[in-house]
Amino acid sequence: MRHYFGNKWAIAAFALPALLLYSLVVSYPVVQSLYRSFFEWDGIGAGTFNGLSNYAELFRDPLLATSLRNGGIFALVLVVFQIGLGTILALVCADIKIKGRKVLKVGYFIPVVLSVTVVCQLWIAIYDPTNGLVNRLFELVGIPYRQNWLTSPAVSIIAIAFVNAWQFMGYQFSLLYAGIKSIPEQYVEAAIIDGCTKWGAHRRITIPLMAETFKFCLIVAITGGIGAFVQMLIMTSGGPGTTNFTLTYMIYRYAFSEFEYGYACAVSVFLVAISLLATVIINRLFRQERMTY
Amino acid sequence: MRNQRFTVFASTAAALLILSACSSGGGNANNANNAATAPDNAATAPEPTESATNDDGASAPATKEPVKLRIYAAYFDDDTKKPYDYAVAELKKEMPNVELVLDPSMQDDGQKLRTYAASGNMPDIFQADYKTMKAFAASKNIELLDDAAPTAQFKSDLNPGNEPVMITPDGHVYSYPFAGIEFQILYYNKKIFADAGVEAPIKTYDQWKDAIQKFKAKGIVPLAIFSKEKWIGNSFFKGLLTREEPQGYAALTGKELPDAFELAAKQFNDLKDAGLFDPNATNTNYDQASSMFYTGKAAMLVNGQWEIYSADKNLGADVDWMYWPAKDEATYEASKFNMDGSGEPGGFSVSPTSKNKETAIEVAAFLARKYAEFKYTQLGNPIVSVKIDKPVVAKPPAMMQRLIDETLPNVKSFAKLNENVKINTALDDNTQNLIVKGFSDADFDKNMNRVLASENK
Repeated sequence: MRHYFGNKWAIAAFALPALLLYSLVVSYPVVQSLYRSFFEWDGIGAGTFNGLSNYAELFRDPLLATSLRNGGIFALVLVVFQIGLGTILALVCADIKIKGRKVLKVGYFIPVVLSVTVVCQLWIAIYDPTNGLVNRLFELVGIPYRQNWLTSPAVSIIAIAFVNAWQFMGYQFSLLYAGIKSIPEQYVEAAIIDGCTKWGAHRRITIPLMAETFKFCLIVAITGGIGAFVQMLIMTSGGPGTTNFTLTYMIYRYAFSEFEYGYACAVSVFLVAISLLATVIINRLFRQERMTY
Repeated sequence: MRNQRFTVFASTAAALLILSACSSGGGNANNANNAATAPDNAATAPEPTESATNDDGASAPATKEPVKLRIYAAYFDDDTKKPYDYAVAELKKEMPNVELVLDPSMQDDGQKLRTYAASGNMPDIFQADYKTMKAFAASKNIELLDDAAPTAQFKSDLNPGNEPVMITPDGHVYSYPFAGIEFQILYYNKKIFADAGVEAPIKTYDQWKDAIQKFKAKGIVPLAIFSKEKWIGNSFFKGLLTREEPQGYAALTGKELPDAFELAAKQFNDLKDAGLFDPNATNTNYDQASSMFYTGKAAMLVNGQWEIYSADKNLGADVDWMYWPAKDEATYEASKFNMDGSGEPGGFSVSPTSKNKETAIEVAAFLARKYAEFKYTQLGNPIVSVKIDKPVVAKPPAMMQRLIDETLPNVKSFAKLNENVKINTALDDNTQNLIVKGFSDADFDKNMNRVLASENK
């Protein structure tokens, strides 16, 4: 193996196809988006260079504030439900004393493999203000809190984010579960022998040792929240009005409804920048000496 | 040696991988696929004839050579398939040397067509709406038809008042239209109205609010609206607006919302507060809304006049339509023929890069006439772009007959287009918002004034 790693031609031969493919489908569109963001362009012709006008316009656009706020709320809901709840469930499933763990593990992952469209349609029915399960349940237990879940500006973004959180919690759960299983059991056992409770041991040993896993999960959840789109498109078409717009929805509207591709490219670049910034911040927060065991 | 052999093997494998990825075929494969998908729709006519003119005033091409034209047109349901098949059958008689290869259009807001334009793969003939027309005119992807052979005759054959569906606001012709100016009306279930003790037609807002309470008391949704699609909320608003401002959105030329708009927004908001809409209205699609109306769960439905056929099929004698109510009976009577609809250019257009451009132009004009002819003769629908001198084969539904006898001869005005994309988008958003509780007419006014101040500098 070392023999091959020493051969630069072999490295190049193996890496080149993947690099070329990556450059073609990822790097080139990103660079093109950046380039086109400096143009007034309708997606067909050559466009007219307009410098930073698109960016200046973006920061004056009232949709930006709505989109950033919704992206933030979406990300927060994902973090709380997917990582918070996912961690608890992963710890439960990692406990060999819990019966039916395999059923639980499979059950948590089933929504992940379902089609997003199917899940959204299911939740549209659940959220129906007249006949939906949620309002019916409230009615059944005598709680007068009935909502128009998908049309109320105050709660619709949370309701939509919850659908994403519910569907992909199993994905985060599997990452967290793998993270827990990679920690040697002796650490927790030793702590329990020394008098620590099981949850205390998890709090002081398991969770701190999962920092790398949490870092990855946080990046996935937060960048996923900032760039959320599909659920809004299917469940509310971004409405009512622009209530449920996110940055990706802005891109969709400006590119495909208003044919302002140059401006949409500027929003895309901004989205990439925000996602990179979030990734850098998370990396900094979790910057520590890598633990090996 | 082993190292060298390995390197050669790896390099060869990489090269093969790249080459195989590049060899999947481009345009030819697509063309073959397009042709393969439309064998049933191709008007194949290998035998050339000497046809030079036809009975519709359009002159046929002089060439006898077989011509194959790719057409991008809607072909997904009875409304789109039947007129296409009819027109193609007629084309076969008139221009047997022309073969059409159908590329069925997607319901994708013009994206596929734009991709064709961006990649230089435009079909010879395509159906274009005004938005696409404007973008393609700027990028020279649409043929200017001002001086094309069939244009003058087509213009002179337009039904009175239908110029806006053919001539753009800047005076050019980019397409041959087949639809006339369509408009929105209020459908109502006569049986539900009678059971609730509501007199039809509703003429004023006070009567409307009173009716809402009666329907709600009976557990009936007063009005079904598929407001997940923004345009219908926008049309509802325009229905209220055109009682006071017949021009519609064309009146939005200043920096502030005119009084008629503020009044319409207030009326909209009052009707919402009274309970006109279902709580889930902005999340209701057409199938759900029409189902509510046709199963007797809703007393009224708002949609275009094209819904007449479906309404007649589903409710028969129990359904009728009414004009838009106004602030009082005098205004109602004075404004009921101010139609809630604005014609905008659209129809069959031609690509300037077509190899058989002249033939494509003739065929586009011919197809538009035949589409209109189908609607008129086979459906009894008089709302078509051009005059048809053939007899109506099908008896139109009673509601359509009423429209023909009572409304069309008396139309006073159609609303006019506002060309500003931002203003139209803002109207779409804010009229949908008006359906939601918590969003008031004051919010509507504020948002629209902001957009107007920014756009009408």
